[in-house]
Amino acid sequence: MTPRRRGQILDALLIPILAILSGLALASVFVLLSKTSPLVAYRELFHAGFGCATLTRCALFTTLERATPLIFTGLSAVVAFRSGMFSIGQEGQFVLGAMVAAWLGYGVHLPPVVHPTVILILAMAVGAAYAYLPAILKLRLGVNEIITTIIFNNIAILFMTYLVNFPMRATRGSTAVTPVIDASAQLPEFLPGSHWGAGFILAILAVAFIWGYLWRSVPGYEQRMAGEAPGFARYGGIRSGRAALRGMLISGALAGMAGAIEVLGVHHQVLQGFSVGLGFDGVLVAILGQVHPIGVLMVAVLFAGIRLGAQIGLQITTNIPRELGGGILALIILFVAARSLYTDLLAWVARITGRGAAPRKEAA
Amino acid sequence: MHAPIDGRALHHAAQGSTGADHSGPPLAVEMIGITKYFPSSEVLANDRVDFAVEAGEVHALVGENGAGKTTLMNVLFGLVAPDAGAIAVDGRPVRIHHPDEAIRLGIGMVHQHFKLVPSFTVAENILLGMEPTRYGFTARAAETARVRGLESEFGLPVDPAARVGDLPVSLQQRVEILKTLQRDARILILDEPTAVLTPQEAQELFGVIRGLADRGRTVIFITHKLLEVVEVAHRVSVMRRGRMIGTKPIADTNVRELARMMIGREVLFRVSKLPAQPGDPVLEVDRLTVNRQEGIPAVSDLSLRVRAGEIVGIAGVSGNGQSELVEAITGLRPAAGGTIRLLGRPITRLPVWDRRARGMAHIPEDRLTMGLNLHTTLDENVVVSRYREPQFAHLGLLVREKIRSLAEWVIRQFSVAAARPGEDIATLSGGNLQKVVLGRELSGEPRCIIANQPTRGLDVGSIEFVHQTLIDARDRGVAVLLVSVELDEILALADRILVLFRGRIVGELDAARAAEEELGILMAGGTLETAS
Repeated sequence: MTPRRRGQILDALLIPILAILSGLALASVFVLLSKTSPLVAYRELFHAGFGCATLTRCALFTTLERATPLIFTGLSAVVAFRSGMFSIGQEGQFVLGAMVAAWLGYGVHLPPVVHPTVILILAMAVGAAYAYLPAILKLRLGVNEIITTIIFNNIAILFMTYLVNFPMRATRGSTAVTPVIDASAQLPEFLPGSHWGAGFILAILAVAFIWGYLWRSVPGYEQRMAGEAPGFARYGGIRSGRAALRGMLISGALAGMAGAIEVLGVHHQVLQGFSVGLGFDGVLVAILGQVHPIGVLMVAVLFAGIRLGAQIGLQITTNIPRELGGGILALIILFVAARSLYTDLLAWVARITGRGAAPRKEAA
Repeated sequence: MHAPIDGRALHHAAQGSTGADHSGPPLAVEMIGITKYFPSSEVLANDRVDFAVEAGEVHALVGENGAGKTTLMNVLFGLVAPDAGAIAVDGRPVRIHHPDEAIRLGIGMVHQHFKLVPSFTVAENILLGMEPTRYGFTARAAETARVRGLESEFGLPVDPAARVGDLPVSLQQRVEILKTLQRDARILILDEPTAVLTPQEAQELFGVIRGLADRGRTVIFITHKLLEVVEVAHRVSVMRRGRMIGTKPIADTNVRELARMMIGREVLFRVSKLPAQPGDPVLEVDRLTVNRQEGIPAVSDLSLRVRAGEIVGIAGVSGNGQSELVEAITGLRPAAGGTIRLLGRPITRLPVWDRRARGMAHIPEDRLTMGLNLHTTLDENVVVSRYREPQFAHLGLLVREKIRSLAEWVIRQFSVAAARPGEDIATLSGGNLQKVVLGRELSGEPRCIIANQPTRGLDVGSIEFVHQTLIDARDRGVAVLLVSVELDEILALADRILVLFRGRIVGELDAARAAEEELGILMAGGTLETAS
C-alpha cells in the first residue's frame, strides 16, 4: 500500500469520526438544557446502544438487527449513486419488497428454506422492477430520477396502505395488519428473544458482494466510469445507459430484499405505517459511509446503535427525550456535509506537525 | 523589462501608433506596452503590445488561437492584471483593476460564453442588478419600457418578455449586446462573436455592428476569420504569439496579406520525418453529413480517405465542423448521411466499442472530461478502451494484474513522469495526462488514429513528444487523421492537408508544397484564384 493510498483511507475514517465527535459535542448543549451531564447521558446511550451484559440481554444484538435493513438500503443507494443515478426510491422498493414477503409468507405454503428463498428472490425482482421504471424514464426521456423516485415512493406507500387495509387485512382486530406469515417462511434467529439472525448474515454477504461487484467486476467498472465521468465512459466505448440501468436494477433488488428481510426476519407481518423511513435512511447511510459498502456497514451499525441508545438509554434511564437521538444523527450528518472543515483542519495539522499529509502535487 | 509608464510615453506612443497626425477627437482606447505572463502555463500571452482604437470605428483584432487577443481584451476589461503597460481611455490615462471600473469608463464586453440567466426574461437579463423598482418590487412595465427604448435606439429588436433560455444563440448574443449598451457602453468588445453564429446570423450581426458605429459607438471585435474582417472592420490589428504585428486600414490591405501577418514568415519548426509510404486505404469517409442539432448540418457531404502509413491533416478554423466530424467517425454522434468504412468494412452504425475493437484509436479534443476520468486511478484510465479484451476481463471480473502491467507499460513507454500504477491521476500535469491518453490509445496497436487537437494547451516539450509519437505510429503503418486548428502542427505533421470550411472540404494540398498563406486563405473561406 502506497503512502498516498494509506492517507486516503485514513482521511476516509477520520472524517466520520471527527464528525461524530463534533455532533456529540454540539448535542451536549441540548443535554445540558435538560440538566443532565452529557458524560452520563452519552454513557447511558452507549450502553443501551452497544453494550452487552449477557447473551440474552445484549443491546448490540438488537442494534445489529436494526442495522440490517439500513445496510441493505444503504447499499442500494451506493449502487445507484455509483452509476450516476441519484435514486432515492429505496423507500418504495423497500415497501413493495415487504408486501411481497407478507403476501407470499401466508399466501403460499412451501417447505422451510425453500419458502424464504423463493420470497427473497421474488422481492428482489419486484424491487428491481420498481426501480426499472424511473431508470427507463430517465434514460429514454430524460425525466429527472430524483423526482420520479420520490413520486414512486409515495405511490408504493399508498399502495401498501390500501393492501393492508383491504385485500390483505387479517379479519379481526381494530388496527390494519396482515396475517402472520408461515413459520416456514420466517428467517432463523441466532438467539431467542432477539430478531438478530439470518438477515444480518445476508447483509454482510451483500456488502461483500457489492464491493466485489463495484471494484472487481467488469459491469461494476462500467457503471462506476459511467457515474463518475459520463463523457469518458461514452468516449471509451462503455454503454453508459445500460450500465446505469443495471445499477438501478441492482439498487432496486437490494431495497426490495431489505423490505422482505424486515418482514421475514423481524415483524412477520405488515402493520399499517410499517415503513418508518428505513429507505430514506439508506440514502443518508450511503452518503455518510462515503458511498462505499464498508462505510455503509459501519455507518448503519452506528446509526442503529445511536437510535436504540437514545430510545432506551436516554428515554428510560435519564429524562432526556429520545428525539435527541435523532438530533445527534442530524448533527453528525451536518458535520459530515461540512467535511471541507476537516480536510482544512487535517491539512493544517499536517502543516504544523510537518507530516506532509497534504496531497502531493506533482513538480511539473 | 519595460519603460516606465507615464503620460509622456503615452502621448508619444499615441502619435506613433496611428501613423499619422491625429488632431481629431482623442483615441477611444490606447494600450501601450501591455505585457502579461501566465506563470502556471508558462505563456507570455502579451509581449509589449501596443494597441489603439479610434472613437467610432469598427476595429478588428485578429490572430491565431493563442496569439493573445483575448488576453489583451481581458486586460482592457479589467479581468486580467497586466505585468506592465499603460492604458488610456478617451485620452485619459486610467488603471482598470476590475470589470466594474471598465464599465464605469464606458467599456462593455460580450464574451464568447454568454453570461446570461437562462430562466430569466430578456428584460430581466438586460436590467439585471439595476431593475427599476416601485415600492421595493420590480416594476415590470418600466422594465419593458426601458428595454423597448434601447431596442429602438439601436435598432436591435428583441422580445422583452421572452425567456432567454428559449432564444436562439444569435438573439442571446443580441441580449448580451443590449446589456452592455444599457450600461452605457461606448466601447464594445466582442470576443469571437461569429464563432457561434450561422453565416446568415453573422451577416445580421455585421449589420448591428455597422449600426452601432453609425451611432458613434466604438466596436472592437476579436476574430480569426479574415473574410469577416474585410467585410465589417474599418481597421485591423494583427497579433501573433503574444506580439502586435501591425495595424492597417482595411482599404490598404487584403486577405492574403493579413493571412501572412497572422501566420508569420519565420521558418516553422518541423519534426524530422521521412516521406510517407502510404499503403491501402484504412479509413474511408464517403459523402458524410453530420448534424449539429436536428436538421442543422455541421458537416455536409464530406468525403475523405486515409491510407495506412500517412497522416492526413484537417486544417480549419475552429467551429467549422471539426468536432462533429470526429465524433461521427469515432461513433459518438450519429451520421445523418453517408458511410464510414474502416479497413473496408462499413462502421457507420457501429457503437464506439465495436469501432475501437476493429482498430480505431481516438485522441479526443478534451482530455479532461472525455479522454480521462480524473476521479479514478491510472489503471482504470488506461483500460477503458480495451477492457472487453479477454486478457483484461475473465468471467466478468477484471484481471487486475494484466491491467496493472498495461499501466506500467504506458508509464514506461511514454515516460509519464510522476505517475504510479494504482494511484489517482488527478494531480498529473497536462502534458503527463496527455501522455496517459496517448499511451492508452497506442497500446492496442491501432490501425487508425483519430487525433483531435492533440496538443491543445501543452507546453513545447510535450507538443514535440506528441508529434513524434504520431509520426512513429505513421511509420509503423498506422493511418492517422489529424484534426487541428494549429496550422504549424498541420504543416509539421501532415502528408496531405484537407481544408475544412463550413463543414466541407474546400481544398486539398500536398503538405510538401503547401504554403501557409494558401492554407490561411482557404481556411478563411477564400479561394486561391481570387486571392492571388
